[in-house]
Amino acid sequence: MTAQTDALRFEPYELPQTLASLRAEVRTFLRAECTSFSAVHRSNSWDAYDAAFSRKLGERGWLGMTLPKAYGGHERGPLERYVVVEEVLAAGAPSGFHWIADRQSGPLLARYGTEEQKRTILPKITAGEACFCIGMSEPNSGSDLASLRTRAERSDDGWVVNGQKIWTSHAHQANYMIALVRTSPATDNRHEGLSQFLIELPTSGITCRPIKDLTGRAQFNEVFFEDAVIPHDALIGTEGAGWKQVVEELAFERSGPERYLSCYVLLSSLIDVIKDDASPASLRKIGSQIALLVALRNMSLSVAGMLNDGKDPGLQASVVKDVGCSFEQGLPELAQEIVDLEPTLAGHGIDYQQVLGNLVQLAPSFSLRGGTPEILRGIIARGLGLR
Amino acid sequence: MSELRNILEESVARVFAEQVTNEFLSSVEETGWPQELWDTISELGIPQVLVDETRGGMSGTWADAYVVVRRCGYCCLPLPVPEAILAGWLAERASIGLPAGAAGILPHAVPASNISGDTLTAQISRVPWGRDADYFIGITTAQELVLVARDGVDITGEENLGQDPRDTVTFNQTPVVQRAPINLPADSIRWLCALLRSAQIAGASSRCLEIGVQYVGEREQFGRTLSRFQAIQHQLAVMAGSLATVEAMAASAFRTMDIHGIATDGRDAKFEIAAAKCRASDAVEPITRIGHQVHGAIGFTYEYGLHFLTRRLWAWRAEFGGSGEWAEYLGHIATQQGGDDIWGYITN
Repeated sequence: MTAQTDALRFEPYELPQTLASLRAEVRTFLRAECTSFSAVHRSNSWDAYDAAFSRKLGERGWLGMTLPKAYGGHERGPLERYVVVEEVLAAGAPSGFHWIADRQSGPLLARYGTEEQKRTILPKITAGEACFCIGMSEPNSGSDLASLRTRAERSDDGWVVNGQKIWTSHAHQANYMIALVRTSPATDNRHEGLSQFLIELPTSGITCRPIKDLTGRAQFNEVFFEDAVIPHDALIGTEGAGWKQVVEELAFERSGPERYLSCYVLLSSLIDVIKDDASPASLRKIGSQIALLVALRNMSLSVAGMLNDGKDPGLQASVVKDVGCSFEQGLPELAQEIVDLEPTLAGHGIDYQQVLGNLVQLAPSFSLRGGTPEILRGIIARGLGLR
Repeated sequence: MSELRNILEESVARVFAEQVTNEFLSSVEETGWPQELWDTISELGIPQVLVDETRGGMSGTWADAYVVVRRCGYCCLPLPVPEAILAGWLAERASIGLPAGAAGILPHAVPASNISGDTLTAQISRVPWGRDADYFIGITTAQELVLVARDGVDITGEENLGQDPRDTVTFNQTPVVQRAPINLPADSIRWLCALLRSAQIAGASSRCLEIGVQYVGEREQFGRTLSRFQAIQHQLAVMAGSLATVEAMAASAFRTMDIHGIATDGRDAKFEIAAAKCRASDAVEPITRIGHQVHGAIGFTYEYGLHFLTRRLWAWRAEFGGSGEWAEYLGHIATQQGGDDIWGYITN
């Protein structure tokens, strides 16, 4: 095996049997909790904002699981968190409130945050009382993130931030934003001079304007910074090292169970619609997708195992996201090949039709958030030694 | 990764890389069974990877076997080494000692009614390297492992797309030289050969990607290497993604064999095996399509040798059940479990 394809290796990683009881506990809790949620609501899963539900997860110790006990965390392994996230997503439990905080902001702060940031913020994350948003994209900086222009300048009062972020999910409801901004002018190396800040919301000088998406909901935002002053100690990690920190953060984002479970409610309602009278052709189509789902799960577990062992699975994580994205975008199409029912708006038709209607509309966003296939394939190609 | 697995992978890779060149593969298509290579591989004990050390084996796991079988696919090894590994494992399970030489695996359950006294009468098709087998091994519908003599069988030679022998073997009151009960489902050989093929597909696919990556780094058009074109980069990245799904699923299925084995009822490795073969078979289309496309016409020539891999991939995709058969099995499980419980089944 050459070095290039070796870098793409996914060693099998089995979840320890000891996690079975945790899984059962979470599943039982979710079965009871989710009966009150409609199927179409469950199909929004990690986008659905529900502060009360997040607090309940926090009360049970299922948020910020890997964070240090000194800061309210539980010091449980990443694999325990993995099991909880799998169950939450498979159940379609509303996770939008805590999602970003639990997945990436908490670990980022635990690693790079100041003592004060850790002491004040991490306990809120583990309690399910802090909603985070990610201030990365800008109107002229999408995939080309390093070209961003929002800047922070040091003054006696703190950092003065000017510029604009966009596509910021939940910014209008969030308690905090972690923003990547420029703290020194761009040089030939565009990755230098970027820094991350922990910004409390609302803050004077910061305005959020929700953007209505094609489904009619307004979940993401434009965020304007006009001489917004944030404290000196809002800096996360090292001034100028923001790019490196963000790249690490994205590795958490790219390979989790959300890469194969964000359409799970559609798959399960599809199975329920056809289960009593499935043709061999339908069984084949479904079976083939299940094989792909299980393969993706194995890949994702392998990445979780590498993270657990302190390795850098950046390349494999990109592969998981690329393949996972194709899989998830394909599911609404597959469903329509198998069951010829019209996708409907919420409140019309059977559950399956409503879930389909929702996900048909959401599917284009799957390949836009957190790295497009175009970017991911570039990363994979680099891993193959092609660029 | 275990020590044994590292050593195995390295030694197998070395021997195969030295011996199994394109010239060698061409010559085997002309002259058949490469006895010398078979002897070398046998002397290294590779077919005994799953046999206990006390009986001259390596006491390896299925996860160890995975790296060997994968490597057989990677090199297009024109010998039934995966089948030999399986034969060794089956014989252990039934406490039967295997004779020297190559085992011809009977790919389907043998109807018990075809055995009369201590002889077998049956016509069995698609037996890998049937013509070169020193004996045959199969499982009957009465869950017996049978070892059948080579003498007097009638063989009609056929090959798969990869030009590997898949013969029709006609037994006519042929002596069953050994038989013993085996606590495995009667169709286990079909399941386990499907598992082996998933690993071979993983290996051959990985080689396809490597050759493709190498070629586009050398070939120039419009004043630059093909690897500089984003369209080419993205095709190979997609291929790498497909490959990853095959590898991850196959490796997991082998591992599940170590944990749960294969059984007549209860939790076993069947779900993972079906998923592994289904996924591998599904991935053959994009992998061979892109593998050929990035090569242009040169990859379509006999001389270049990409076809040694791709013809085998097209054959292995269908052998021991194609995507459709295994997907249907998985689809049945999904609909029997229902939308909520299939998740519990997958995570169990």
